[in-house]
Amino acid sequence: MPSFHIGARFRSLHPTILLLALSMVLSAAADAPTHFDTVARQADAARTANQVPDAIRLYREATRLKPDWSDGWWYLGSLFYDQDRFAEAAAAFQHLLDNPKYRGSAHAFLGLCEYETGQYDEALAQFRAWAGAGWAGTPELRTVGYYHFSLLLTREGKFTQSLALITWLVPRLGDNAELTEAMGLASLRIQYLPENYPPELRERIWLAGKVALYAQMAPRQFESADQFAVQLVTRYAGQPEVHAVRAMLYEIEEKKPEAELEYREELKISPNHIPALVALASMDLDKGDTAEADVFAQKAIAIEPNHAEAHHLLGRVFLANRELAASVKELETARQLAPRSAAVRAHLAMVYGRLGRTGEAKVESTAYVELKNKADAAATLRMKNEGEPRIPGQDLSDDSREKTN
Amino acid sequence: MISRILLIALLLACAIAPPAPIAEASTDPQREDWNQLLQSAEKARDENRDEDALRLFRRALILQPESEEALWYLGTMLYEKKQYAEARDTLRLFMTLRSDAGAGWALLGISEFNLREYPRALDHLQRARTMGVGDRKELSQAMFYHLAMLLNRFERYDEVMVILASADPDDSLIEPAGLHGLRMPYLPEEIPADRREMVEIAGRAVIAFQAQRYDEAETACKKLIAEYPNEPGVHYLYGAFLSIQRPGEGVPELERELQISPAHVLARVRLAEQLIGKRDYDRALALAREAIKLEPKRVSAHLYAGEALVGKGDLADGIKELEIARDGEPDATRIRWDLLRAYVSVGRKDDAQREKQEIEKLLHTDAQGNPGEAGDTPHDQTTH
Repeated sequence: MPSFHIGARFRSLHPTILLLALSMVLSAAADAPTHFDTVARQADAARTANQVPDAIRLYREATRLKPDWSDGWWYLGSLFYDQDRFAEAAAAFQHLLDNPKYRGSAHAFLGLCEYETGQYDEALAQFRAWAGAGWAGTPELRTVGYYHFSLLLTREGKFTQSLALITWLVPRLGDNAELTEAMGLASLRIQYLPENYPPELRERIWLAGKVALYAQMAPRQFESADQFAVQLVTRYAGQPEVHAVRAMLYEIEEKKPEAELEYREELKISPNHIPALVALASMDLDKGDTAEADVFAQKAIAIEPNHAEAHHLLGRVFLANRELAASVKELETARQLAPRSAAVRAHLAMVYGRLGRTGEAKVESTAYVELKNKADAAATLRMKNEGEPRIPGQDLSDDSREKTN
Repeated sequence: MISRILLIALLLACAIAPPAPIAEASTDPQREDWNQLLQSAEKARDENRDEDALRLFRRALILQPESEEALWYLGTMLYEKKQYAEARDTLRLFMTLRSDAGAGWALLGISEFNLREYPRALDHLQRARTMGVGDRKELSQAMFYHLAMLLNRFERYDEVMVILASADPDDSLIEPAGLHGLRMPYLPEEIPADRREMVEIAGRAVIAFQAQRYDEAETACKKLIAEYPNEPGVHYLYGAFLSIQRPGEGVPELERELQISPAHVLARVRLAEQLIGKRDYDRALALAREAIKLEPKRVSAHLYAGEALVGKGDLADGIKELEIARDGEPDATRIRWDLLRAYVSVGRKDDAQREKQEIEKLLHTDAQGNPGEAGDTPHDQTTH
């Protein structure tokens, strides 16, 4: 069991920054030192000697003397962060948001600080900006950042995106208690943070988290996942989301009949459960039962009109029924909602082709191939514990499910 | 809960080295004002005028934000009044100045625990444990209690046992011990209502075992089995107890556990150990390999895989497994004894000599400190 805690702090300073500060100090030494130079040098010396209170005092003084000294703000923010003094750290990192060198990492640190001070909406916005800036930072920062970003996505109800992001950490961290908890919350679609969910939910969250975690490990550990899934269903058979978790595991295990049964159980408890409706519509399509697929997809859209995958599935229902005009309409809606869904583009290409709209069909085919290649490459990198996660929230509406068939 | 019973007297006894004394003959009027303010605050605190004391300490900190004395007294008073958020923030400022104060880390960790900031609480309580909190028994008890709960919640079960072993067994540890015994990573308040009794019985078994009251431990285990025959973890607990007390008798319980919990790693490991004792190397090897597949870093699984392979006469593969185990747990003498014998058998004299030296070093260390038991790996030293 790794002792590393993704919910706790980590050391944020890194060698390249130290070198940069050193070169700055050396170049400053060539000229007659100003008061600022002297204070900055003392601050660096105090920091490297691990004299934290002195370093904080001196960096404060130096940044007061020279408010555009970005390295000073960086060190000051890092020192406060390492002391868990998050409000003060956030104030320092705020000064770096316009600095090209620090902007990316500063967004992540600000997100972490604002999370810790309970400013969750602001923290989520910072993490989104961090993602938009290309996930800058050290591997440690990324790990902690992905984790907290994922928690905030769960809090916002973006469960699929949260799971997509947190799953990225599974090969890296393995069987980790914090990952388990985060995955449990997202899998059960509970809009809480680890710090504030009701204690009576703990067992359910832990069991669901273990199911999700073992199912995503590399290699997948289905025996362990199954053991926890059995416990989850035995203990909480009448509770919402439990059968959906079991069904998702069955789907990953490619046990479709069992998955279908569990989704139907979920619908008995939660009639408006969109992931179950969407999954069952997809399964119906695979079996050629377009009538029931139509009902489920329409119901999902009625509940959530911007659900990309529901429109996609309805488009496929119309395609199967040879209602091509209606199919195009639904698939174009799906494309608008999820432009980076390879499966949507593939089906659009197919329908355009059947309608004789060859130019559009070709465009969609090309898009499909590109997106598919990108998705495959990303999946390969993830399994090798490399690369970056896809930016959540850019192309899929909440809880849409990507299918390639 | 132990956090509730820390006495104000304990806190006000200043659990750290005394802060710098107030300057005696200051001529700085501002300094004199501050000294007066602090004295008034302390007087208010001594007279149990808590609100006045808090107000005065806060004012003192406006004048001198880095006063260790004011930060410490304010932090501990806020802690005692269960104002954990402000206590946490104040103690964090204090810890920036006094990172050597073990008692400060303990109070900070417990404050964070009460705010459900569990990862950070664990980090800080571990620092407190490393540094020590002096001879303050109640604070020490509170620290151990919270540490045991947190380590258990983070599924660091092997470390929980070390904590339980180093704490004085008392009733406050029954629930953490029970949760640990059943491998349930919950805090006491998170235990489902229908499992509370089961946890308590398991806790009594573990505590009794820890205190070497073996009859009492076995009675509790039997009660657990009788009342909760199909619950995960129950048969493992009894099987592990029997494996230590009466080797061989634990096998049926461990096998039953595997029927209930097919992915139970430690049941496999314990069973493999028992089967090696019976020279049933084929079954032992199969179980150890399954355990490795489920948890590749489990040292004891590699140990028993190695022992089973050596037992079957496959020295080359046995040595490989034993070497993995040794690298994972370099201080376990049992692994090194196994390796020594295996190296001798295949004529690797230099390697054998090196293991011999390492064993002598470890035995020397044990003789000076913890006598330990040369047979077990630290991972599975107790009933787990």
